[in-house]
Amino acid sequence: MRIRKKYLFYVLAILSSLIGAGVTVIDTYISVKYELNPWSLCLAIFIAGILITFLLCLILSIPVGKKSLGARIDPSFKRLRLPKKEEIKFHLMAGIGNAVATVAYFFIISIYREPSAILSFFEVVILYLLLMESIAEKNAPTLAEVQSSIVVTFGAIMASFSFQGEINLLGLLIVFFVLNPAWVVFSIYQRKLKIMKIDGRHNDAINIRFWNLIFTTFFTAILVYFIDRRNFFNAFDMLKHWNLFFLSMGITFFSYVLYIRALGLGKASVTQAVKAFTIIFAIPFSILASNFVPISFYESVPQLVLKIMGIILVIVGVISFALTEVKAYIFIKAKTGYPINELLTNLWNIKGVTSVAVVAGRYDLIAKARMRTLGKGYERIIRELEKIKGIEYFGWEAILKEWEEV
Amino acid sequence: MIKAYILIITYVGNLKAVLEEMRKLENIESIAVVAGDYDIIVKAKVDTPEDLMELTDKIHAIKGVKRTNTQVIEKEIEA
Repeated sequence: MRIRKKYLFYVLAILSSLIGAGVTVIDTYISVKYELNPWSLCLAIFIAGILITFLLCLILSIPVGKKSLGARIDPSFKRLRLPKKEEIKFHLMAGIGNAVATVAYFFIISIYREPSAILSFFEVVILYLLLMESIAEKNAPTLAEVQSSIVVTFGAIMASFSFQGEINLLGLLIVFFVLNPAWVVFSIYQRKLKIMKIDGRHNDAINIRFWNLIFTTFFTAILVYFIDRRNFFNAFDMLKHWNLFFLSMGITFFSYVLYIRALGLGKASVTQAVKAFTIIFAIPFSILASNFVPISFYESVPQLVLKIMGIILVIVGVISFALTEVKAYIFIKAKTGYPINELLTNLWNIKGVTSVAVVAGRYDLIAKARMRTLGKGYERIIRELEKIKGIEYFGWEAILKEWEEV
Repeated sequence: MIKAYILIITYVGNLKAVLEEMRKLENIESIAVVAGDYDIIVKAKVDTPEDLMELTDKIHAIKGVKRTNTQVIEKEIEA
């Protein structure tokens, strides 16, 4: 399927948020209605998750024509398979990240009666991811991405903040130093898995989700066991609510598969920022659920005003993400006798260059670059190109519209 | 596996029609409308040199295509 990659990325991330919002409400229903021990609940829900995800993966592995049923959700998916050797270390890291983030989350909800005020600071994870990408990735965030991320983060905090909740140092320390860093590890390694090539094709989100669940459950079980053994064994008794857990984790599966696919197309920080839409989508679901369990959409008029302002900021931030990317092709002719490999490396080292190809034909190299604005990027990249000695000529083609095979 | 950039110049007023036809073709990784010396840049991914020839032939056959310039990729680094 050849579509505009940018559109697909936003469709996947927003759909994932929509489904995720539904799951949030189901989870709230489970915890409010049954008042289950949060530690046992977190392990029980993962165990049930493995079973339902395994069943779903088997169904999605059924061939329909030349492709599997799951290829409709992720075109790279063929069938459920064992992870490859090169994937294991990434699965281990993503599993540890997810387990630690989950345990930190349940620790907060087990000690605070109203944890929403503290948990709203989870949204700062967008800025953590942004910081990681600035340090570790070649494709560093542009200034517009930094601005949009800050707008979305603050908007999401405002939209999910509760005046009834308590804020204290321990809770904030857990969110800022345990929950958020663990989620960063989880996101970054899920992304690494998705962009990895397996047998010459992109890795698929369905297998990544299934194996992440296995590793996460393993690490969560260890953590829950060492925190309190009774909670560990109670988790198995709690599986009597398997139908609700299956519903929650079955829907979560689709939310995560779409999220992982989006991670493979865009940056982890931008994907997480678009996921902030979950807060907006959760509103109609919460109103619906309030008919069945005692949960409220808002407690006061000031909170409603804050929520609306936050929602507007999230929407504006995500739209500005979508509108600020500019890409261009650069055609280069090398000076005769200059080593092409050296030129290739010099071009690749320019910030903003996302691909460089040595070609045979009228030109010697074709590079692709992305930038904040055409003017700024043009000036910055041209200054760098002019410093490179082996270039005889370069031409610039700004991309106005692009379709890519996904 | 052979990858190549096909740089295309179209006749004035034919860009939209050429794009529509181009999007129907197989073995294409990306299609970009650009502003500069060219109008469209296609990145092709084929199995054999003959497949590349067939693809360029099909592009030449599209009404509105004025000229093409094929650059075969020898080595590539991608983010």
